Amino acid sequence: MDTATQGKWDRTARIFDFMTGRGPERRWGPAKRRLFAHMQGRILFLALGTGLDIACFPPGQTITAIDISPEMLAKAAPRVAAYDGDIEARVMDVHELDMDDASFDQVYTSCTFCSVPDPVGGLRQLYRVLKPGGDLYMFEHTGSRFFPFNLMLHLMTPMTRLIGPDLDRPTVANVRAAGFEVRAVEYVYLDVVKTIHAVRPAP
Amino acid sequence: MPDRLYFLLGDLLANAAVGAAAGVAAALAVPAGWNMFAAMVLAMVLGMALASTLAFPLMRWFGAMEVMLPTMLGGMLAGMVVGMQAAMAPLAGLTAACEGAAIGLAALAFCSYVDRLLRTPHEALD
Repeated sequence: MDTATQGKWDRTARIFDFMTGRGPERRWGPAKRRLFAHMQGRILFLALGTGLDIACFPPGQTITAIDISPEMLAKAAPRVAAYDGDIEARVMDVHELDMDDASFDQVYTSCTFCSVPDPVGGLRQLYRVLKPGGDLYMFEHTGSRFFPFNLMLHLMTPMTRLIGPDLDRPTVANVRAAGFEVRAVEYVYLDVVKTIHAVRPAP
Repeated sequence: MPDRLYFLLGDLLANAAVGAAAGVAAALAVPAGWNMFAAMVLAMVLGMALASTLAFPLMRWFGAMEVMLPTMLGGMLAGMVVGMQAAMAPLAGLTAACEGAAIGLAALAFCSYVDRLLRTPHEALD
């Protein structure tokens, strides 16, 4: 377990809902609902955080949700309990998933790979637990191809990394590097906030 | 209030306020007679630093990247332009604020325009 990352998110759990629960969630809610509407079969979701994303889940799903931070999951507990379906919330590091190979039909991530210390390593773990032909759906913010946005994101990252995410990750390239086949990328805001649909190729 | 109107007003308010603050800060920081290039660079850095600080509380209300990127761009540009003017001649606070606010709104318009251009499914290139 990466205790440094765990400690960072445990500390951030105290202010997470205050900072993101209103503006960002209200702004990104419609795009998240469209993405999560694809949920079906056996689902792995990460990172659950304080459970704000649960409001965007379609009802009736069976979801294994992980997060590296026990403090985040403690705050998520009432939202997990209120969900009209089954969510099993577990403390787990994406680099060390204890699930069997090819055990999920779909994997969902929400603002996760901006913070995973070894993003390609983490994505390879998702590849491993996903069934061949299974879907990876991601809602992520990433770096930008365009000046001056890329400059600003690079400049801000050393500060934002102290309390939370990197802002300049090449997440789509990381998804490809992990072996996935990228099917679609849709921009939610500029080319920075986006949804990604990728699949683990079937043999 | 409908989300669309709420965020439109929030974006306008955030970008005008941050641009105005960056403009005033640049006018206060740059004395008349400075080297114009040095004044532009200093005021641009000042505007960006101020914008990134002011953006944090605004992000809680109006969105994360949707607030951070246009306000930082507006802060940089407002600082740079107002700083350059302040190096040439003393600038009144109200003038600096109005120019900064206008530049902040122009930065918002630019970001919104680019966002519209990009809002279609794309082959991933990043």
